Formats: sequence, structure tokens, C-alpha cells
Amino acid sequence: MSTLLRADGVTMRFGGLTAVDRVDLTVDSGEIVGLIGPNGAGKTTFFNCLTGLYVPTEGEVRFRGALLPPRPAKVTRAGIARTFQNIRLFAGMTVLENVMVGRHTRTREGLLSAIGRGPRYRRTERESRTVGRELLEFVGLGGHARETARNLSYGGQRRLEIARALASDPGLLLLDEPTAGMNPQETRETEQLVCAIRDRGVAVLVIEHDMRFIMNLCDRVAVLVQGSKLVEGAPADVQADPRVVEAYLGAPQEETA
Amino acid sequence: MNKHLTAAGAALALISPFLAWTWTPLYPGDLTLYGYPGGSQLVTLVCALTATALLAAPRLAPAGAVRALRAASLAALTTTWVTVVAIAVDLGGVVNLEPGAWLAAGSTALLAVGAHRLPDDTLDPPRPVPRLPRWAEVLVITAVFVLAMYVLTYGITTGSPEEFLAFLPAALFLGRALTVSGLGAALGALTARNRTATAVAALAAALVFPFTQSDGQYTAIADNILIFAAVALGLNIVVGLVGLLDLGYVAFLGTGAYTAALVSGSSFSTLDIGPLPFWATALLGMAVSLVAGIVIGAPTLRLHGDYLAIVTLGFGEIFRITVNNLDGSSGPSLTNGPNGINSVPDINVLGFDFGAEHHILGVEFGRFANYYLLLLAVIALVVFLYSRVGDSRIGRAWIALREDEKAATAMGIEGFRFKLLAFAMGASLAGLAGTVMAHLQTNAVPDNYKFADTAPPNSAFLLAAVVLGGMGTVSGPLVGAALLYLIPAKFEFFSKYQMMLFGLALVVMMIYRPEGLIPDRKRQLEFHEEAVTT
Amino acid sequence: MTATELTQLLADGLILGSMYGLIAVGYTMVYGILQIINFAHGEIYMLGGFGALFVYAWVPGLRAIPLWAALPVLLVVAVAVSVAAATGAERFAYRPLRGAPRLAPLISAIGLSLFLQQVVFNFFTLPGSSMGVTAPVPFPQFETAPLDLAGVQVSVAGLLTLALAAFGMVALTWFVRRTRTGRAMQATAQDPATARLMGIDTDRIIVIAFAIGAALAAVACVTQGLRLGTVSYNMGFITGLKGFTAAVLGGIGNIQGAMAGGVVLGLAESLASGALPHIDALAMFSGSVWKDVWAFVILIVVLLIRPQGLFGERVADRA
Repeated sequence: MSTLLRADGVTMRFGGLTAVDRVDLTVDSGEIVGLIGPNGAGKTTFFNCLTGLYVPTEGEVRFRGALLPPRPAKVTRAGIARTFQNIRLFAGMTVLENVMVGRHTRTREGLLSAIGRGPRYRRTERESRTVGRELLEFVGLGGHARETARNLSYGGQRRLEIARALASDPGLLLLDEPTAGMNPQETRETEQLVCAIRDRGVAVLVIEHDMRFIMNLCDRVAVLVQGSKLVEGAPADVQADPRVVEAYLGAPQEETA
Repeated sequence: MNKHLTAAGAALALISPFLAWTWTPLYPGDLTLYGYPGGSQLVTLVCALTATALLAAPRLAPAGAVRALRAASLAALTTTWVTVVAIAVDLGGVVNLEPGAWLAAGSTALLAVGAHRLPDDTLDPPRPVPRLPRWAEVLVITAVFVLAMYVLTYGITTGSPEEFLAFLPAALFLGRALTVSGLGAALGALTARNRTATAVAALAAALVFPFTQSDGQYTAIADNILIFAAVALGLNIVVGLVGLLDLGYVAFLGTGAYTAALVSGSSFSTLDIGPLPFWATALLGMAVSLVAGIVIGAPTLRLHGDYLAIVTLGFGEIFRITVNNLDGSSGPSLTNGPNGINSVPDINVLGFDFGAEHHILGVEFGRFANYYLLLLAVIALVVFLYSRVGDSRIGRAWIALREDEKAATAMGIEGFRFKLLAFAMGASLAGLAGTVMAHLQTNAVPDNYKFADTAPPNSAFLLAAVVLGGMGTVSGPLVGAALLYLIPAKFEFFSKYQMMLFGLALVVMMIYRPEGLIPDRKRQLEFHEEAVTT
Repeated sequence: MTATELTQLLADGLILGSMYGLIAVGYTMVYGILQIINFAHGEIYMLGGFGALFVYAWVPGLRAIPLWAALPVLLVVAVAVSVAAATGAERFAYRPLRGAPRLAPLISAIGLSLFLQQVVFNFFTLPGSSMGVTAPVPFPQFETAPLDLAGVQVSVAGLLTLALAAFGMVALTWFVRRTRTGRAMQATAQDPATARLMGIDTDRIIVIAFAIGAALAAVACVTQGLRLGTVSYNMGFITGLKGFTAAVLGGIGNIQGAMAGGVVLGLAESLASGALPHIDALAMFSGSVWKDVWAFVILIVVLLIRPQGLFGERVADRA
């Protein structure tokens, strides 16, 4: 198994505030890695460092051995795709169009070919469409291709976001709280979906609060507390670690105070 | 009971245009004849016919006839009352009204009251529209475009403000009837199925116009509308598709016009170049505007969108100041200052002189008709580019940037590059329109390219044409441009207060109908999101 | 160029710049809280001057007393007119559009700006003349000769501009830092949602921000009228643009920065007009008609190399 993503001493400071403090993390290909921690622990900031939205103040991130470019668009091209904690779809476009936007980095039709519409352009458009439909089928939105994205149910919008991210043929998918706001049934379905994504050969790094989800799914879990990594290991070990319990619930004496 | 009331109103309203409404032909359009509708009576007749048809065959309207009937009745009511009141005001008193006018006013009121008391029969979703054989679909499309062109021609050729004032509300309300009846959506689906046929039919219908005109008076108006519309369409790429507010767009039009004028061989041109062939002029105008677009866009498009608005606003003003002062005394000599570059010769393409009269199919084509054909080609090009690029990888990237820039970037779209592309494309299309404009108007003068003025094209009117018509659509800016050109042109007596009401209209429009007259279905949802989710 | 000439240019620039600064504060405050550019701010500014002119022309008693005695009345009326216009604009043109797509308030603001300009154009009337103002109209002026400070000429109106700008900035700084409402304003600018949760009436804060900006703009317009001797219905367009440029220069959202940006812009404009004739290549662009172009070039250059402004904190990108 090869190392896909390697973050070394990633540090992010905003003014005097250190949101992420010397975090190391690796994700191997074919792995599902969980990232957990209390609210405000810097999980999303760390994510943003991995996707080029922020440039880490210190430390470096390598993907497939190469240094990660500092711009989100280039990170996507390199092969890391993401979803957002609060869903960010192109609400006015159709479901299929949303996924086709995801194909953006894997196609390169420019202005002239869009005007000329030669055979190569038509083939690429057809391919984008086919890939889009296949992905919609895969996430279970096959029947909704022509609907406007905003009209999908909440769960549907989450799935569409995943389909859109997968459309860029990523090697690594970053999911930011994919089950937030979902009922147990929907959470189960998302679990199956994430497993299926791994089976397609895409590694997954997931931020999540739902412990059952993490336990069922992840090969490895890292716990982030106040910007630094507290523990990392197999889900069961992490769950049993007293420091993790303390981080979530506070130290016993604080509890009584 | 209400149905009978409505039917009686409709029937009487049908009869009234065949009676005399006044005794003297002094009122424009001659409404004194019995047995033959004239002038604005024709508009009343059309509205009454529409209402009658909806009443007699409600199945014509897939989404329910009653709301459409109400709109049609309001069309009849407004147009008739405008005419009746105008007769009384123009001729000095209600004594000038013949019984026919009283009948018309009364019957349309009856029709409107009756229609509004009928129970609503809106169907959601609308009744499916039967698919026609292909030839019949093409026939329908052609008929619709011929009809639309006829309506537009009627509006352009109205000879008096009274007639235009009677025409305008009727056209708007009948347009509304078309939308709420569900026929608009059905037509949309029809044209989407037959894209090529639609394009050909639209072009053919537009080509008919100069054949119906005996002199250049109204063709000149049509020419100006076409220039205005072409530029508005270009702006719609920037504003409608990408969501960037460009407030100095007219400067790119001006850049094209000045470039064309400078190389036209005009004796007022300060450059000793030309006349260049028109294709070279057009390319040069586009290129210079493109460069201007990149110079303005490159520093600002990386920033927050509001900066772009203010920088383009400044650029528009700077353009005007600059061409006003490059006169050799307060600055280098290039544009002759406020006098501009006059005597720009007519375009000559392969020996076809656009200034001379030509005979085509036995019809005389004057100067304005020649330019009409050229402008039609320009519009066709702009629409072609707009729809091809709009529906491609690039167009999807643009709309994605408009919808959510952060998510778009996360999908690998390089925001700056694509915004600059749209901005530059919009600028060069405006430049192209500018090269034609300089030849058509035989000059390039600073005052044509202001931020706001009483007559289009200027940046404020261009923006308004896009907003009024509907952002992100092809037909929206066309309709918006036609309306915004005709209203000031037809109501010249009103020009003093025009800008004021125009400003007010923008505010009101943003609050009550931000999606425009012809909304992009997707945008409509975006603007009324609260209404949808709550 | 002699030292005296240079000092003269600096003095002129400082006066011009402090007027720009007064306008810039309005842009920066509204932007800081609502993240919209109040395009109509230039017209709000213009209305202040016309309000002052209106009372001066129509109230006979004012012309009977010396101008410096009438000045407080003119300022109060100017401020009242501008504040009324700004709060009205907020209520009817901006508030209904909160939460709408970004383009909507911008377009609404442009419409409003045209409307206000045209209202003055069509309906402003002076005694003895017909309705409407198409050309610049005379504004009362101090008849005192300019003061001579070691060869540098400074008009009374110029000194007054400096004094009012200084007073305005001190008062505003005190208000924002020391009063309850001022702190609520800072909180709202930081995070409106949280501020609302904390019990701050954000609607009221927004109205106050509009009102303060309008009041300072009105003062700026009166000083401009006093200095130049005329006001015109379309004076708000270019001056508004410059005010915005000053706000960007100072880092938009930063109140002290706005005044500093104004001064920098004023100095640059003044120095450009003084220095350009001495630079051969640019001498032909030194006329007064080109000064607006130079201000615009400055805006572009600043956006290009330092978009956060000369003194700016980074523009917060609220997601």
C-alpha cells in the first residue's frame, strides 16, 4: 500500500491564534481515515490547508509525493476533491450539470472548440454526460438528473455533492461531516456509499462527529484537539483512550466545577 | 353568471372596434370609420379576440385559461381606456367621444370585471401538450416568429405617442397571458426541440421587416434597436452568465466606434490610415476593445465583485473624459475632442456600398435597410456565440462561478481566468457593435458613450435592458432593448422626467421582479428562494 | 519648483483630501457592516449641498447676516437633508434586498443614484428662476481674502474644511470606541448574526451607519460649495467615485483609514497637477481635465499592488 497523502507539521496561524498546530497525517491508498475532535478543534481549517484554500503557515503537504500546489483549483486537478460542511451546490443548475462541472479539470475544451463543436468536442461532452449519469446512478440519484439541484432533498444534496466531487476522478476524497443533519437511515446509506467509494479505489479522509459511523467505517482515526493531534490509531483503540474521552467531556474535576 | 358577464363583455368589445370612436380624423389613426377598425382600435380588437378565444376554448391554455383570460382582459381594458382618455384629452373633452368609444370602454370594463370574478382554474402541473409532427412544429415556430415580428413592427411604426401608449400595455399584458396560460412554456419546449428551425425562423422573420418598409424612417429606429440589443446581449454574458456587474460597458462600444472611425479614411480622422476593408476594421475594433477589457479586467477580476462595478464605472467616465480631451490642445491629438470624428464613410463590402440604394427582389433597399441586414448578421453572430459558449464546459464554469465561487474553485475552476475570458469576450463583442455603429451614425462623438443619458445606448440603459429583459437569457435583452429604445423614442415630450422614472424603475424592479420580464427559470428560483423554501 | 510652490500644493492637497476623506467614511462604514457599496452615496453628498443652498436662498434672514453666522444653520440643514435621504434610501431601496443575490442591491443603488440626481435636476428651484437646475449654481462664499501663511495661500473655506474634517473624525472615533452604540456597531461589522443574538438591534445599527456617513458627506459638500463657489446636480458622480477610491486606499472597512486614504488621494491629485507639467512625457496630460483620470489610475494601481489598501487590515471575506 502506498502513501497517498502526507501532511508534515502543518501549522496554520491567524494573527496570534494558532488554529492548527504541527499536525502530521498520512492517508494510504485504499484507506478510509477518520478525523474527529470537539467543535473548534481545527478540523475544517486543517481540511482547508489540504485543499489549497489556506496556505499553511508552516509545514508541507505532499500528494502522491509532489508538493501540493497552493491554489484550490490546482489541488483538484492534482487529484484531491472535497465536499463542504454546509452544502455548497450550484443551486440553480440541474443535478446533471452540477456533476458535469465536476468534470471540469478532466476536460480541456476551450473557447474555440465550444464555438466550433467539432467531433472531439462532441465526444468529450458525451463522455462528461455519461460519466455524470453513471455517478448519479452510483450515488442513487439516477432519476433526478434533470431536476434543479436546490429541489433535491437534504440527503440528496449531500449525495450530489459527493457525486460532483467524484466526477473529478480524485485519488483522495475529503468529506466534511457528510452525515450532519441526517437521520439514522440516511447515515447508514451514507456509510454504504463511502464504502463503495473506497471500493472504486478512492481513498477517503472524513471529518465526522457520529462515532458509530467512524467505528464502522474507518481503518484509522486521528483525534484533533485544540489544533494539535492528540492520538491516532485503530478506531477501537482511540475510543478507549482516556485522553480522548477527557477531550470530549472535559476532565473530571472540570465536570464537577 | 360571471361567465355570461364575461362573454357579453367580450362580444361587445369585439363589436366596438368596428364602430366610430370619435367624429374627427384629427385623432391619430382615424377612428371615425364604421365597419372597419383603424389605428388603436386594432389593438383593442386583438385583445378582445384573445379573450374570446380563451373563453370559448379554455383547453387552448395548458396551464389553465382563467388567469390568462384575466391578463387578456386587462390588456383590452388598458389599451381601450388609454385610447378613449387620449381622445378626450387631445380633442378637449368627452363630447368628442362617439357611442362606439363608450361601448368600447364599457364592454372592456365588463370583460375585466367578469374575468376577475371567474374561479381560478390553474393547473399544476399543466396539461401535457400533444406532440405535433415535425413539419407542423416548424410551421408553428415560424408562425410565432412572424407574429412576434408583426407585433414589434407595429410598435416601431406607431406614428404617435398616443398609439404607442395604447400598444405598450396591451403587448405587456398579452405577453403575461402567454406566460400564465402555459403556452409560453410549451413554446419554449417546442423551440428547444427544434433549435435550428427556431434560429432559421427567427432570422427569416427578422429579414421580412425591411421588405415591409417603404422609407428609411422606421428602419433607422430598427437599426438603433439592433445595435442596442447586440451590445445588451454582449453585456448579458458578463452580467447574466458570470454575475459580474460591468457599469462601463458602453466604453467598449465607444472604443470600437472610435477605432473604426479612425481607420475609416474619414477626413476628420487624425490617423492617415484607411479606409481599411470592413472585415479588418471589425477585427481591429474587437481587438482594441479586447485589450481595453483585459487592461481593466486583469487588476480587478481577482478582487471582490463590487470593486469591478466601481472600477468599470470609473472606466466608463474616464473613457468619455479621455476622448473629449484628446483634441490636440488639452491632450494629444487623436479624437478631435467634443466634435468627434465625423464624416465616417459608409461600409463597402466587395463593392456593395451600404450607403447606396439597392434593389433586391424588386424591393428598394435604402441605406438603413442595408445596415439592418448587416446588424442582423452581427446579432446572429452574438446569439450564436452566446448560446454555443453558454452551453459548454466554459458556460457551465461561468454559471458555477456565479452560483457559488468557492465551490466552483474547489471543483477546479480557475475563477480569474474564466471571469477574464467572459469579460474580454463581452468587451470585444461590444467593440464589434461599435465598429458598425460608427459607420451607421457616420461619426464617433464622446456624448454617445456616457454612463447615463436620456437615450440608449449608455451604460445605465444597457444594464437596464439586461435586467428588465431577464438576466442570462437570449430573448430577455432583446425584448429589454426594444422596449427601452422605443419608450424614450416614442415619448420625446416626456424626456425631462425620463431618467428620474428610469432610476426609480430600476429600484422597483429589483424589489418586486428582479428576474426580469423573461426570467431564466433557474435565476427566478434564485431570486425568490425564500418564497420557495418557506 | 520652489519650496513655497510645493508647500502650496501640499496645502491644497490636504484640504481636498480631507474632503474626500469625509465622503470615504460613509462608503467604508456601510461596506464594513453590509458589504455593499452604497452607490448613491455621491448623491447623498450632493443633496447636502443643495439642502444648504435651498435654505440660504429662500430664507431672507440668512442672507442678511454674515455668512459665518449663517453657516451653522446651513450645516445643520445640509446634514438633515442628507441624513433623511440616506435613511430613506436604506429603508426603501436596500433593506428589502437584504439576503438577495449580490447584484440586486448594486443595481438598486444605481437606480437610486440616478433618481436622486434627477430629482434635483428637475425640481430644485431658486427664487426668481424656473424649476430645475441644468448647470452649476452659485453657492455662497466667504468674501475674506485668502490667508497668506509664509507665501502659501489658504482660503477661509479651506481652513474650515480642515477644521470640520478634524472635528468630524475625532467625534466619530470617540463615538465608535467609547459609546455603547459605537461598540455595538463594531460588533455588527464583525459578525452580524452573533451581534443579533447578543441582543443588538442590527437594523438600527445599519441605519445609524448610513446616517453618520450621510452627515459627514453633507458637511463635505458644504465645504466644497464654499471653496468652489458652485454646486451642481451631477457633482456627486465623480466626487463619489473619488470618495470610494479613498475608502479603498485606506482599506475598506477601516474608518481612520478612509480619512487617511482621502488625504493621500488629495495630495496625489494636487501633486500630480503640480508635477506633471515638469515631466516632459506627461506634460500634455497635466491639465485640470485630466485630474480625474489620474485619480482613477491611482485606484487601479492600488487595486493591482495592494488591494487591501494602504493602511488596511485584510478585507474580511465572510463566508
